[in-house]
Amino acid sequence: MSVLTVLPDNVSVRAKPGETILAVLSASGYGYRIGCRRGGCGICKVDLREGEVYYDHPVAESVLSQEEIAAGAVLSCRAVPVGDVTIELRDERLKLNSALLRSIRAVKAPTTKE
Amino acid sequence: MGILRLGYLHVRVTDMAEARKHYIETMGLKVTAEEAGKVYLKGWDEWDHHSVVLEEGGVGLAKLGFKVQSEDDLNTYENNARTFGATVERMSKGEELEVGQGIRVTTPSGHVVELYNEITYLGNEVGYLNPYPFPRHETGISVPALDHMLIMAEDVALNEKFFMDTFGMYAVEQIRPEIDSPARIATWLSAGQKNHDIAIVSGKDKGLHHFAFQLEDWSKILRAADIFAMDDVSIDITPTRHGITRGTTIYFFDPAGNRNETYAGGYRAYRDRPTTIWTPEHIGRGIFSHSRELNAAFTEVYT
Repeated sequence: MSVLTVLPDNVSVRAKPGETILAVLSASGYGYRIGCRRGGCGICKVDLREGEVYYDHPVAESVLSQEEIAAGAVLSCRAVPVGDVTIELRDERLKLNSALLRSIRAVKAPTTKE
Repeated sequence: MGILRLGYLHVRVTDMAEARKHYIETMGLKVTAEEAGKVYLKGWDEWDHHSVVLEEGGVGLAKLGFKVQSEDDLNTYENNARTFGATVERMSKGEELEVGQGIRVTTPSGHVVELYNEITYLGNEVGYLNPYPFPRHETGISVPALDHMLIMAEDVALNEKFFMDTFGMYAVEQIRPEIDSPARIATWLSAGQKNHDIAIVSGKDKGLHHFAFQLEDWSKILRAADIFAMDDVSIDITPTRHGITRGTTIYFFDPAGNRNETYAGGYRAYRDRPTTIWTPEHIGRGIFSHSRELNAAFTEVYT
C-alpha cells in the first residue's frame, strides 16, 4: 500500500496496487475535473511533483505528448502510481464527494489553509 | 435526390482489442471485414457493407461519409463544394473498402467528408421478406444502426453555412448567443427527415463530440444503461432526454475515450419546419432536459 498526495490541498490517501490516480481519488471520496475516464479527452491532466507513474493502456500522443510527459504532465485517469506519488492539480482544488469514503482511505487530514 | 444518410465514419482507437470488445460485444455491431489495423462493422438493421470503421492508433475522428442517391448528386456536391471554396477531390472506387467512386471534401473545420453512391450491399439480419422485428439472438445492446454525429468547429456559423450551401442541409435547431444573432453556438442539421444527421458545436476544429446509434425506445435506453454498468462502460450522462430534438439518450465513452450516444425518439423533421432557437440562458435545459445544467464535459470533453 502506497500513498498518493494531492497538492495544493495536501491531501494524502492510500493507493492500492494497480489503481489509477482517478480510481484512488474516487475510492477516497474525492472528485476533481475529469472527462471520459478513458484517456481520450485529456481534461484530467495533472502535474507529477514526486514519484513515478506507469500507464496500463496505450495513450495517444495527441492526448499526452512526449514533451508534456517530460515536463511532468500525467494523464490521471490512466496513470498508475509506482510507490508513493505526489501530484498537483491544475487550477483547481479537490472536491469532497463522500466523507464516508474519505474516512476509509485517508492517511492525513487536509491541512487547513488560512 | 441528395444525401440519404450518414453512411460511415472512421474512428481512431488506442487499443483495438478493447475497442472490438466494446463495439462488438457491448454495442452489438457485427464485423464485416478486417484489414491490418482496421475493423469494419455494421448494425443488424443496416444493409450497406459498413457504418463504423475502427482504426488502431490515436483517438478521435479520421473521416466520415454520407451516402448519396446518385452519381449526379456527386457532381452537384462537387460543384457546390468548389463554389464554396472548399478543398475537394475525386475518390476512386475501392479507396474506401467496398465503396465506389466518390468525392472527398474538407469542411472549413477541417473534417474530411466523403460522399459516395455505391457500396457493397450485404442486407440486414432479418431479411426483407416477411421479416420478424429483430434478430432472435442479440449481442449486448444490439444497436440496429448508426444515427448521427456531432462535430466541433471554431466557427459554427461558417460550417453551418457550408453544410447548408454545399450539401443542401437545413437547420432544425440552433443555439445562438442572442435571438437575432447571425453567430451560432451550436446547430443541428438535417438532410432528410431525421431531426439531425450532423450537428456542430463550438470547439476545436477537427474535433469529434460523439457519434450516435439508434435504439428503438426509452425501454431500450434503460436496458442499454444496465448493460453498460455490467460491461464497465464509462457513462458520461445517464439516461435522460435532450430538450433539443426531444430525443432520449445516454452519453458514454468507448475504451479510447471517444464519446458514443444511444439515441431514441425525437421528432421527425421536414425541410419547411421552422428552425427552433435556443438562447444561452436555456442551454442547460436544451441539452439535458431534466438536470437543466450544462456540465463542463459537454463543451470541453471530446476527442
